[in-house]
Amino acid sequence: MSHRVAILGVGMTKIEGAKKDQKLDDMVFEASSKALADASVTREGIDSVVISGCDELDGRCISSMLLAMPAGAYLKDEIKVTDEGCYGVILAAMRLMTGLFDLSLVISWCKTSEAPVSDVMRMRWDPFYHRGFGMNHITSTALMAGVYKSQYGIPMDIPARVVVKNRKNGARNPNAHLQRPIKLSEVRSSPVVSWPLRALDCAPESDGACALVLASARKARELKRDPVWLAGFGWATDSYYLGGRDLSKLRSLGIAAGMAYGMARIKNPLKEIDIAEISDFSSYHELMVYEGLGFCRPGRAQDLIKEGLTDMEGVLPVNPSGGLLSSNPFTASGLFRVCEAYLQVKGNAENHQVQGVKRALAHGSSGFCAQGNAVFILSR
Amino acid sequence: MNEIDAVVYSMGPSEFLGVNEPDKWCVDAVGGRDKPFMRIHTGGATGLSAAQAGFHHVAAGLFDAVLVVGADKVRECKDSQQVLNTIWDPLYERQFGLTTITMAAFQAVRHMHLYGTKEEQMALVAVRSWGNALNNPVAHLKGHITVDDVMMSPYYCWPVKKYDMCPSSAGGAAIVIVSGKKAMKLSTRPAWIRGCGEVANTVFLGDQMGGRAQMDFADSDVLAMAATAAYRQAGIRNPVKEIQVAELYAPFTVCELSMVEALGFCRKGESGRLNEEGFFNMNGEIAVNPSGGTLCANAIAITALARVCDGALQVMGKAPPKMQVKNVRNAVCTGEGGSFQFHAVMVLSADYY
Repeated sequence: MSHRVAILGVGMTKIEGAKKDQKLDDMVFEASSKALADASVTREGIDSVVISGCDELDGRCISSMLLAMPAGAYLKDEIKVTDEGCYGVILAAMRLMTGLFDLSLVISWCKTSEAPVSDVMRMRWDPFYHRGFGMNHITSTALMAGVYKSQYGIPMDIPARVVVKNRKNGARNPNAHLQRPIKLSEVRSSPVVSWPLRALDCAPESDGACALVLASARKARELKRDPVWLAGFGWATDSYYLGGRDLSKLRSLGIAAGMAYGMARIKNPLKEIDIAEISDFSSYHELMVYEGLGFCRPGRAQDLIKEGLTDMEGVLPVNPSGGLLSSNPFTASGLFRVCEAYLQVKGNAENHQVQGVKRALAHGSSGFCAQGNAVFILSR
Repeated sequence: MNEIDAVVYSMGPSEFLGVNEPDKWCVDAVGGRDKPFMRIHTGGATGLSAAQAGFHHVAAGLFDAVLVVGADKVRECKDSQQVLNTIWDPLYERQFGLTTITMAAFQAVRHMHLYGTKEEQMALVAVRSWGNALNNPVAHLKGHITVDDVMMSPYYCWPVKKYDMCPSSAGGAAIVIVSGKKAMKLSTRPAWIRGCGEVANTVFLGDQMGGRAQMDFADSDVLAMAATAAYRQAGIRNPVKEIQVAELYAPFTVCELSMVEALGFCRKGESGRLNEEGFFNMNGEIAVNPSGGTLCANAIAITALARVCDGALQVMGKAPPKMQVKNVRNAVCTGEGGSFQFHAVMVLSADYY
């Protein structure tokens, strides 16, 4: 990258099933205040605010109107990208790379407990072709899981072991929504919600907000910080029409990863990356993400799980925080992944810290059957 | 399409269409498949914010050519004002039945109160815009109307009348932003993006008026802040002398009077009189909205992008013959979103330096 971008600090609210004591603006204020404090900068120094929110889940048709202020954007240069929260990092980083800005706040949130999530998702389908099927985020994820399962003959225990791994990790993360470790037998016996997904194969729905402070290299030097660098990032989208896609593969993830790896000069991700925080909307989805990110050949993600390579003690621990299977503030989940990756590189992840992390990957995903994907490489 | 490296999708509130996240639906239609793609949404300012985001894609050094594109069909919903009521916070201001029309009435009343602006002066903005739109083949509303026509049109919320307001329109717009090197190869006369700015105010209308307010709702002071940043980048010191065309996102006649003051074309309170003197006419000091502007077409998601398109056409000398202003070196384009809360500015220039 011609101009490097540094991450100076992050702020996260506790992720919960339902935040009854906080309004949306309270959550956003908490996250932005914590990020500024973590980065040891004040709001006055911020010259760019990038917001990412989902109007429909907020029940407001311009969600940034209320939340720009608690985010800290009052009388600041502010812009909103409307996608997965982590797209805010992409836009903020590009803004810093232009040389026009020096210090940027990125923020996203989601309060699923107050939103009719399934209805909002069904309304995302176009009224002519897909909407009549009545698919929501879970049935579409199941469709993808079903295609993947039949294509490669994935035994049921493999995705179940993904769930056990992530929930075990989540139990060590005080910020996670679900903190109870579960047994393989519990996954096996949980009811099928949409074949092949069982209840425990699916991410929960949670409330949470998180923020990051990004700086130009110039500013990071001026502030004499020891930052974490955004070494690379990439993003891409696939077609909307499910009928025209090969649902056993995450095509746009491969493209996004290629761009991020190119920027960060990564050739062998399994060897060169120390931890990955990925958006696993289901256990099967996590397996597919391994393949999209090039950790293994198509269909061989099951080997990584069998050999425990992505466990906390493995060569590439995936989702030390517990991932989405432990906490899923929906459209902000990807930005939480970037925050968690930052903590790992910084060495601040406390109970779920992996030792000696020099380079971490974060991944966010949006749209039906992971239409859009974004990948970030954070490094020392 | 093969030469386009990334796509920025310009889409405002999805509630007019009744399809959530319509950007995802339109990926294939705009050639976004397999490419970096993101949607920008800042309410009415969306198109200009999207253009700025496209500029950031290229200016960051990551891409050589970026497509900024969008479309909207505001009339597909039953009542756009019902939708727009939901931009306000449900706990404080939504119950007042605020709409963008009543909001504009607040600004008009403040402008009349502070500066003695007359309804007839606002009406004249509509007359000029409708007249200009006659030269714009893609404008929605156009025609020879008089101040009397505007004054006789029904009140929607005093002092805002039917002809003081923008329509609900359907339309699409797109721009291609390329790196300087590529531009030199492709065009002998491109429009250069020389300055950008975008500033957010508070959502609460009550905090924008009265004794404790930091600025007055009559004035678009936030636009002035954004313009200051954009002018500084563009090296513009005297906007009246250096800017020949302004394409403004002014959905109500009073907005335009307030905005030309904020953009430094005149002092606060002077715009009504100068407008009467023809200062903002096609052959005046600064041609404001030669396209007819937002008063003549408002497909919300791309209205501000259309401002950039029209500004660029003027700078490139490619506007339709009668719409083209002579000798345009600099054009300023704006977008405005929320409760007159987000203001975005872009300066386009015929000159690289």
